[in-house]
Amino acid sequence: MIVYDKNLLDNLALVEEAKSLESAGFISKEQKNLIKKELPAFKRQSNILVRLGFFLLGAFLYLSICGVIALIGLTGSNSEGFFFSICCYIFAAIGFVGAEFLANQKYYGHGLDDAFILGALLNVRFAIAITTEGYEIQVALFVAVASFFMYRRYLHLLSLLVFCLAAAGVLFFAMFEFDIGKTILPFVAMLASAAFYFLTKRIINNLKISYYYSGLLLANSFCLVLFYLSCNYLVVRELSLTLLGSEVLPGQDIPFAIFFYAFTFIVPVVYLVQALKTKDRMMLWISFLAIGFSIYTIRFYYSVLPIEVALTCGGLVLFTIAYFSIKKLKDKEVGLTFKPDRINNSNTILNAEALIVASAFGMKPEAKVPDSPMDFGGGGFSGGGSEGTF
Amino acid sequence: MSKFDGQATKSLLDKNLITENQYQEINAYRNLNIFSLNAELKLFLYLSVLLFTSGIGILIYNNIDSIGHIAILSLLLLAIGICFYYCFKNSKGFQKQETAFEHPVVEYLALAASILTCIFIGYLQFQYEPFGTNYRLATLIPTIVSFFCAYYFDNKSILTIAITGLAAYVGLSVTPQDLLNNSNFYQDQTLSYSAIILGVLLILWTIYSSKIQLKTHFNIIYLTFALHIISIATISSLFDYFEYGIWFFFLLVLAGSSFYFYKISHELKAISLYVFMIVYAYIGLNIFLIRIFENINFSDVWVLFIMILPIYFIGSILMFIKLIKKFNKEIAA
Repeated sequence: MIVYDKNLLDNLALVEEAKSLESAGFISKEQKNLIKKELPAFKRQSNILVRLGFFLLGAFLYLSICGVIALIGLTGSNSEGFFFSICCYIFAAIGFVGAEFLANQKYYGHGLDDAFILGALLNVRFAIAITTEGYEIQVALFVAVASFFMYRRYLHLLSLLVFCLAAAGVLFFAMFEFDIGKTILPFVAMLASAAFYFLTKRIINNLKISYYYSGLLLANSFCLVLFYLSCNYLVVRELSLTLLGSEVLPGQDIPFAIFFYAFTFIVPVVYLVQALKTKDRMMLWISFLAIGFSIYTIRFYYSVLPIEVALTCGGLVLFTIAYFSIKKLKDKEVGLTFKPDRINNSNTILNAEALIVASAFGMKPEAKVPDSPMDFGGGGFSGGGSEGTF
Repeated sequence: MSKFDGQATKSLLDKNLITENQYQEINAYRNLNIFSLNAELKLFLYLSVLLFTSGIGILIYNNIDSIGHIAILSLLLLAIGICFYYCFKNSKGFQKQETAFEHPVVEYLALAASILTCIFIGYLQFQYEPFGTNYRLATLIPTIVSFFCAYYFDNKSILTIAITGLAAYVGLSVTPQDLLNNSNFYQDQTLSYSAIILGVLLILWTIYSSKIQLKTHFNIIYLTFALHIISIATISSLFDYFEYGIWFFFLLVLAGSSFYFYKISHELKAISLYVFMIVYAYIGLNIFLIRIFENINFSDVWVLFIMILPIYFIGSILMFIKLIKKFNKEIAA
């Protein structure tokens, strides 16, 4: 099913391994370059900026080809309505052809192929939506099938993410078909994600071929996130508001509120403990995010403290936790430690620090009060995006 | 950590690409089963500084009239004093090269101290106006403090604050979000001249500091700011100015800066500079082409124009692939 040459995929894994060994200082740079030269490789962009650039260019190319076809179709065919009903299928076909062509040219993870694969999926979505007049479950089903096909053929991780989302969509929309479905949706989603979590975990443990490893890991993490969100109090309450239309009056609460509250707080802690026990970095990060979202959930309904006090105290608490953890882990050599791992280091996140500071605390000119606290958008951590990597 | 990493190492050994010795060494290290929380805990420290200073900032802003000024000022001063005390006690003093604190916490305390100092001076200015209504001067003081801290404690995060302060002194807002939204140049076109001059000054400073070997690892930050400031200023002027002479001047500036950053990115082996240089140069080139074609009457040839577009993009992609390949080859050499 995989379109790529297996040897090249193996080589890719070897070169990646050599790269991480080189940065860990086990092998010299010359040796790494020799390994790279020795093994034929894909056309690939490992730098995220370059890949993003090629993705944009690929998207432009895709759009312009679609534009040409639309032009020919509109001037050539007699009925415009007929052309509009099939144009998205044609565009999707272009995406598939482009992806296949690029794969045969040994493009893998290059940015250009991403543009064509994702473009094809997007057009499949539109095409089915036009044909079925926006019947959600069919759209989700077809997108799921198409994206799974893309993943199996091109080992494209983003497609797998699309597949996970679409599959979850199929589940949700299927539940909407029944009257009782909307009520039991959180529990069904929870059970389904738990089932798939253990299923993927099992497959990973018995996996013999390495090509599917990262994909399975992604699906596995997706199940963890879905499991947490499925019974999070905030999600359940807001969803029941929009889906069932039930107002929560003051003094009342949603049914099973205690269960959902307990779930919101216990699950992140379980994730955290489990992640530290099994040394699972993905789960660790998910648990951090889940803890953050749980705090947000509480603040959404109960303003326990004014925002500034909450921020200040939160900062102090976080500082204390980090300080004492560092103190405790500083001198350990084995297992859980503060020493940077030579092989798998996640330092990339730290490189973005300067950028975040500039977004959050950058000074602005001649405002009424220079450096006034106005500039300190407490939550402005998302600014910047791909501005630069220091 | 997966079993496949171990397999990959083994097959590197099988193919004789690494030696038996190296393999043993790697395996011994892997068997330590290290799970490092280094990045995570540092991120926590970092987040805590951001949360704390934001909290203090909002606290002061909201209660600016209610709590006693002296109380606020003395509390802030106390916090700043504590932070600086620890930083100075643990620092090795000023060094010309890259240095690191022995204890990672101190790095973040330095950041907290300098942000709090900025808040302190801002508050002082708001309440007592020691610099009169000269707001530029009031921006300059925190900038100088930040520059001092950045160089003394060797902290890149503080340096970026300092550079944004410097730009604010000139009248520009160069926080990443504002640069992306291009919000500077809508009101005042003359700002683009100051922006270009600021960018050039930053570049000159990097040249000078590499000559005297002063914190050369800061150069990439200065250059990143310079690249974005100059390019965005010229491109937004290329969009808005239509007088022939001035328009041409900006085109020349963009061409010159692209050429300079082309060279310097090779020298520093910095792909982020290189990629953004190409992107800006490409945008500039397209604007130039559009301005040339403006004189043609489009209503006749637009069909042809759409037909040509895919070919144009394929050409651009091939050119980009070539450029990136060349860059990768040259920095590997």
